[in-house]
Amino acid sequence: MSAADVPLEVKGLYKRFGGLTAVKDVSFSIKAGEILGLIGPNGSGKSTVMKSILGVERPDGGSVRINGVEVAGWPPHKIARLGVGMVFQHSRPLHRQTVLENIILGLLPDKLLDFFPDPAVEKRAREIAERVGLGAALDRRPSTLPFADLRKMEIAKAIARNPKVVLVDEPFAGLTARETAAFAKLIVEMRDDGRAVLIVDHNVKSVSALVDRIYAMYVGERIAEGSVQEVMQNETVRRVYLGGALETAARPESAFRDVQTPFLSVDRLNVFYGKAQALEDVSIHVHHGEFVAIVGLNGAGKTTLFNAISGLTPYAGEIRRQGRSLRGKTAASIARDGIVQSPEGRELFTEMTVRENLEMGGGRLDEKDRLERLEWLFDLFPILKARANQTAGTLSGGEQQMLTIARALMMRPDLLILDEPTLGLAPVIMEQISKALERLRQTTPITVLLGEQNVTFALPHADRVYVLEHARIVWEGDPSRFASEIGERYL
Amino acid sequence: MLFWQILIDGFAISSLYALGATGFTLIFGVTGVLNLSHGAIMVAAAVAAWAAAGSLGVGSYLGAAFGVLTGLLLSLATYFLVVRRLQRSQRIREEEKEIFILTATLLWGIMIQEAIAYLYTNNAKTVLPIVDGVVSIVGVRTPANEIFTAVVCWLTIGALWLFVNRTRAGKAVLAASMNPRGVTLLGIELSVVYVAVWAIYGALAGTAGVLLGMFLGVSSYSAGPLTASAFSIVVLGGLGSVSGSLIAAYVVGYLETLTAYLVSPAYRAIPALLLLVVVMYVRPRGLLGRR
Amino acid sequence: MLRRILLSPPVWISLIVVLVASTLPLYVSGYVLGLLTIAYYFGVFSMAWDLLFGFANEVNFGPTFLIGLGAYTAGILDSLYQPPIFVCVAAGVFAAVTGGIVLALPALRVRGPYFGLTTLVAVLILQNFIVVAAELTGGEIGLTVPDVISIDDKINYWISLGFMAASGAILYGLSRSPVGLILQASGQDAVQAGALGFNVTKHKLAAFIVSAFFSGLAGALMVFYLGVASVGTFVDVTVGVQVIIGAVLGGRRTILGAALGAVFLIAMGEALRPLGDLATFIVSAIALAVVLLFPGGLLGMVKGAREAT
Repeated sequence: MSAADVPLEVKGLYKRFGGLTAVKDVSFSIKAGEILGLIGPNGSGKSTVMKSILGVERPDGGSVRINGVEVAGWPPHKIARLGVGMVFQHSRPLHRQTVLENIILGLLPDKLLDFFPDPAVEKRAREIAERVGLGAALDRRPSTLPFADLRKMEIAKAIARNPKVVLVDEPFAGLTARETAAFAKLIVEMRDDGRAVLIVDHNVKSVSALVDRIYAMYVGERIAEGSVQEVMQNETVRRVYLGGALETAARPESAFRDVQTPFLSVDRLNVFYGKAQALEDVSIHVHHGEFVAIVGLNGAGKTTLFNAISGLTPYAGEIRRQGRSLRGKTAASIARDGIVQSPEGRELFTEMTVRENLEMGGGRLDEKDRLERLEWLFDLFPILKARANQTAGTLSGGEQQMLTIARALMMRPDLLILDEPTLGLAPVIMEQISKALERLRQTTPITVLLGEQNVTFALPHADRVYVLEHARIVWEGDPSRFASEIGERYL
Repeated sequence: MLFWQILIDGFAISSLYALGATGFTLIFGVTGVLNLSHGAIMVAAAVAAWAAAGSLGVGSYLGAAFGVLTGLLLSLATYFLVVRRLQRSQRIREEEKEIFILTATLLWGIMIQEAIAYLYTNNAKTVLPIVDGVVSIVGVRTPANEIFTAVVCWLTIGALWLFVNRTRAGKAVLAASMNPRGVTLLGIELSVVYVAVWAIYGALAGTAGVLLGMFLGVSSYSAGPLTASAFSIVVLGGLGSVSGSLIAAYVVGYLETLTAYLVSPAYRAIPALLLLVVVMYVRPRGLLGRR
Repeated sequence: MLRRILLSPPVWISLIVVLVASTLPLYVSGYVLGLLTIAYYFGVFSMAWDLLFGFANEVNFGPTFLIGLGAYTAGILDSLYQPPIFVCVAAGVFAAVTGGIVLALPALRVRGPYFGLTTLVAVLILQNFIVVAAELTGGEIGLTVPDVISIDDKINYWISLGFMAASGAILYGLSRSPVGLILQASGQDAVQAGALGFNVTKHKLAAFIVSAFFSGLAGALMVFYLGVASVGTFVDVTVGVQVIIGAVLGGRRTILGAALGAVFLIAMGEALRPLGDLATFIVSAIALAVVLLFPGGLLGMVKGAREAT
């Protein structure tokens, strides 16, 4: 097979950031007229692979060949000129220019002395715009365009110079179902034009209809490669995304006393990031003392939901605690009143010790209570006791996660929100966290809202489950019915 | 003999620089703001102390206290009237906010400077010193005031250290400099932390200003160079690193003193500037810079 | 599209303004002409600054570094050897461009506040150097330049106006040309610009050189108008602040707004002069108010009514 037939070839890619190996021995190739899906959860290294191909990151080892030419270590603009187009997830068009001018940008040569607009360039820009369906919007400014049209503009810019290789980052984030179909059609057209297309995304399901093959990554390495069917049935992939066999231990909803006015109720929640819709008409409720799991893949909207509840992001809709609206309260006051988050990003004070981080959490307790609470948490998470005087930044991922949860518990929350507590952790650590959660459930009246991608981890701790997919709640019910009703469709 | 003189003078001026730079770094580390009205606030504090002690006749202690209070109030005014408004503005893109804040604090500083010049003329003023007389250290005759300056600077810096490392409120400030979101998640209102930090900064700048006024005197023209030397020191030491600023303050202070004594007072600012150029080229994030 | 740019409102309004302005010497006093002459040079300073900031997104806190290099090189050369004026001006421009390149090199490697600080430091160094090398530069008192372009108010005015109009045309044209488009993209998001195939560093360096060219040229010409070069007129940080405020006041990223803002600022400063020391205070206060309340500047206020930014 000649180089022309394999426009993109990656071999043995290796990249470190300080002590962290982000990408290890990644190899794949894409033929002309083929779409490959590069799938992985947050932290899997897929973004680093993408950046290495683009030239934004310089690989520490391995090779990247575009049209047969070795480009590892080249600056981004040279790689782009060789024939690589990129459709960014967060596009930032030039707001003071029209759509036409934005597309022309994709066609301009890299010259310093380019003073006069070239009519040929303008003509070609119009052609491309027509092709993607933006013909009517050419003279408008980006800020007046709907989100889906902005994404189309990005495609137009990316394919303007007819690249052999196109990278697409999270193509469907923020699009409605109908817009997704239209966008998918454009991507298929790119493939039919004979280009090699690489789609980078969190989850297999959203791109499964589109891709010819999948390359799945986890913690920097390949875990599966092959057709969509093969990958979705692969053991390791299912374990990473779903966990293992599903166990449940639910308490029925009637067991909770506050049936009329649940402890927390979220009604018709809508959240937009700029023009992209992150949550659409989401309604959930949580009873006092209940453990509720929100399961969904990365990017489904779990963190957005939790941030809205915690008052960290603006929203439309109603969020009520014991019947009283939380709107207008500052995030800190919501936390003080007992709704506390253990965030996905952990947000630890990395230069303070474990003990200091915990004491910050217990800042409003008096000395006696604080010490008591500290002891209880050291009992719940013994490893933290051993590391009490170590700086938080030097802890392992699992230890940091336990510290995050413990710090949140120091605040004596009524409702504890756990956002992806097991992401990227080894099974033995997941066990410890699981045990701690179980103890909380059995011995305290705490209410928990658990956001997880790993269904096997989440289900045994849940009294009820919601499934969040692409900004919408698509299923609610008893954990025992989860496997039969949704299980297969989840991945 | 000259050696000891340089050592002592250098120490005093460096301590003063250290106090000013610490405040500047504190504000940047916690709020991300490079306050270009820094020098103006220091001068205003000094002039307020001078006016109170001198024309109003309240004596040197009360005058000094008045000066520090002025620093504190002006700093809070800077935050509420100028900085906070821009930080919360919906009409400026996030990436541009820094530039707007720099420009606005610069303008604000000029306003303060000109107001001082208008109300009190731009002549140099010396604040009534709290401590008088001359002492002899290793045979060098040194004004007691100079020793007083160095001592107060270090006491203040020490008090700040105690506050940040040993009190709950102080730890909240420290935590905010590491992770503002973390602080909010723990139920602490960031807005309160910011007010507290600007107030502390005002007290630090006010103290530094009053001490400078007693030691060397100030005029409205001093505002610009004071801001310039504060941020040179902070950049040299590394933006956001208090220990870096302390070390850099001494490097700059001694460079200036050595140049003034051994070459000529007119050239004293040059070596520090050259050092800054070298650092900018070779290691832009400074000695101990984090960000 | 070229036709559309040429016929756009900012262009023909500017043409009308320049036409009207060129008739002023017929009925306006010498004092006002002199004021406007300086204001127009400041207009060029601010426009050059806006190209760098508004487009390449690089904040130059020391435009007077470039302006001062141009002015002083031209002035010193003239006072030493008295070559023809255009040679001195050319030397000034050369010095400014060289300075611009030297400034750009560390600047393009650092991000955020560091770049602004680098530029500010450059001004301080230049200022200190001028004061210290007083025999050559006239130090704090200033340098008297033996030649001037003309002693006639009207001629000086027309030269300054013509220069501003020409510079404005070139800079505005650049901003609207394909190169300007690339520069804007580079300034807004360097990663995306790189992915579109543009060598961001190359374009930003070019923007620096253009900005330095016009700053130095305007500075050198202004020296031969005033007949004097001093730190307070060309180098001081407060002068730089005026340049920046003029651009921000007029509306960033409009080029033409920068000229408007600068002229407005100088005119206002002069009009308030009878108030003495309070004048600077009031001008700064007004500028601060505009920054806080109308971040889009004067032109932004007008534009805002017409379209969503």
